[in-house]
Amino acid sequence: MKLKQILMATALTLAPIGAAAECSIEGTGEVNVISNFFEALEVLANEMKTCGNDGLIIDTKLTTDHKEETSKAFTAATSPFDAAAVANSSITLLQAKGQLRPLNDLVEKYRDKYNIEDGMLIKFGDDVAAIAFMVNAQHLFFRKDIFEEHGVAVPTTWDELLVAGEKLKAAGIEHPYGAAFGNSWELANEYVNLLLANGGTLFDPATSESTFETPEAIAALKMMGKLYKFMSPNAMSMDFGDVKRQLQQGDVAMAILWGNEASAMDDENESTVVGKIGFAAAPAMAAGGAPASTFWWDGYVIPKNLDGDPDLTFQVLMHAMREETVKANNDITLWIRSAYEPGEYTTAITDTVVNGAPPYPMNPQASLAHGALGENIADFIVGKESAEESLADATKAYRAAAKEQGLLK
Amino acid sequence: MRRSTFFSFVAPSVMSMLILIALPLVAIIYLSLHQSYTQMEIKEVKTEVPLFGGKTREVIRNVPQPVLDDNGNGIQVWEYVGAQNLKNAIDTEGLSAAFKADQELETPRSFIKALFDEVRDVDFWSALEFTLIYTFLTTPIIIILGFGLALATNRLTERLRGPVVFVTLLPMIVTPVVSSLAVYWLFVDGGVIAASLEAMGIGKFYFLADQFTIRAVIVAYGVWYAAPFAFIILYAGLQTVPDDPIEAAIIDGASPWQRVRYIVIPHLSPLFAVIALIHIMDSYRVFEPILVFGSRVFANSVQYLTYYTLVFEDNIHKAAAYAILTVLGVIVLLIPIMIKTFKDQKAGK
Repeated sequence: MKLKQILMATALTLAPIGAAAECSIEGTGEVNVISNFFEALEVLANEMKTCGNDGLIIDTKLTTDHKEETSKAFTAATSPFDAAAVANSSITLLQAKGQLRPLNDLVEKYRDKYNIEDGMLIKFGDDVAAIAFMVNAQHLFFRKDIFEEHGVAVPTTWDELLVAGEKLKAAGIEHPYGAAFGNSWELANEYVNLLLANGGTLFDPATSESTFETPEAIAALKMMGKLYKFMSPNAMSMDFGDVKRQLQQGDVAMAILWGNEASAMDDENESTVVGKIGFAAAPAMAAGGAPASTFWWDGYVIPKNLDGDPDLTFQVLMHAMREETVKANNDITLWIRSAYEPGEYTTAITDTVVNGAPPYPMNPQASLAHGALGENIADFIVGKESAEESLADATKAYRAAAKEQGLLK
Repeated sequence: MRRSTFFSFVAPSVMSMLILIALPLVAIIYLSLHQSYTQMEIKEVKTEVPLFGGKTREVIRNVPQPVLDDNGNGIQVWEYVGAQNLKNAIDTEGLSAAFKADQELETPRSFIKALFDEVRDVDFWSALEFTLIYTFLTTPIIIILGFGLALATNRLTERLRGPVVFVTLLPMIVTPVVSSLAVYWLFVDGGVIAASLEAMGIGKFYFLADQFTIRAVIVAYGVWYAAPFAFIILYAGLQTVPDDPIEAAIIDGASPWQRVRYIVIPHLSPLFAVIALIHIMDSYRVFEPILVFGSRVFANSVQYLTYYTLVFEDNIHKAAAYAILTVLGVIVLLIPIMIKTFKDQKAGK
């Protein structure tokens, strides 16, 4: 349901700021790049386009359907896309199917020209599979003024968050908490955050069998049921764009949201709570434990079956990711390049990561598990089924999907 | 007409039907009978992921990796699986489990209720449930509403008709995804309808919070979206109602209602059949409001399942199986109307 974001975003940000600098790539041909749709990717796409000239055609496609299109293109005889933006989860199946071109030679050739840093390289074994440019994690957003008024401390564990919710509700705040439960992918993401922080797992890596029905999993799911009671009753229809709006419109007192949305809270054009939102690491399941969040990287890959020139494509990508882009757009996200200056909007992301939030599992089984959970756990949250029953349904859905992908016998 | 002339006249339409209708159908059936995947084996792989400020984190994991052939390419498996995809789609296992689970229940009524609950827990059947509810609720409502609108518009003065027809058609002109979003924004927290009800002192309503209201909103959206279609066809039909029988009926003292009931409705009956036919086909494929409203837990559709399988399970074969089930469902629903149309035509001859 990111459709809503597309419509909103196209209306609001048709004119992003470019760090107009000369692009001096020599070569002729066509470079086609597909990616997801959010601000940092838009900036990079615009940077890529500055390399276009009479002989070099640069075409970028930003779509929330990038995952399916990329997977179809990379499976075909030749891919119409010469590069694609991927993240922790979307790279897994592409890599496992052997569709990615190792980038080691290109990295060596252009390391100095574009100052490619080791931290940007996503390695599977010895192969450089992707070049990453940003990281992101979900964390806690809260209303500093409301917390202060009612003497609520910033929760560091989920149990504390429940207590805070109770207190705020008693003080007349109808929906203290917000989180993206409405889109099945995002719903499962909230769940995975809690599950991993609770010591749970999604599957057994040795056999690919799912491990959905464990005490850790049931406890994590029950926590979601408790959280739902502090959310708007419409929450099962609200995705992260709606949660962002709830915060900006002052409808909720705290929420879990993506770190790169932090600066939007102080955007006077869309927010009614400028300066009132504080950011903190995601709460932990147990005191002192890892925050219930996973961290994500976003980067670009080049397929083996591209119809263009990998060298040219790589240069266009690297030009877009150069230091100047980071400096000119410092606050829009947490860039990986060391030229990035941490600001007030990203400290909560780094806190979340430093306190031990794990990277989102980079296994193809994880995306299948994620999908199966997303379509089934809602039955428990709205009270249609018990936690055990809905996790059993998810197991069944996962098994079917994994068998069909050849991961399970 | 000579046979060869006849064939050369129909050839273009036969060709386009073959290419645009028959070929995709055959392709879908072919896809649904197969399964494909890349052969993988689980290997231990060391991965490095970036943190920030130049730091990285190293993780050693067991990851499925492609089995490579002699040329270093992944091995693609493409195998014939027969009806397995269809069976998985309708979840025959889940269905038979649902029947077995409740053998110990005593009264027939509680048995049926428990069975119904179990069956609804299976993806396909729960999606089918709402798809059918949507189809059977919206079809009669749009015909009645469209007919009422057509009759009313027909009584307007010539000058008003044009603008009224245009305004009435607007819901149909707007792209379904956009109009679904517009309706969603009316009902979500702080939306115009929710906020107005609260401002009027009626209280807070959460339309997207439970099964009944969310289904009602989706059905209302469907009516709003499709009624103009019924309206425009019936309005065009009304222009062809002959004046003579109407005048005769007026002279005989027929009331306006009797004129509609005994002259207009019989005259338009083929159009009612056409509207029902097309709308059933359309509504059985309800998709946009399901996607936009997001509450699959409360309302799902067969078409959405096809999309989900393709996008999240990355499984074109099972998605093809769902597509076949959609086509079959539409055919089953259309049979009664087809039979009726066929009989009418025969009688007309």
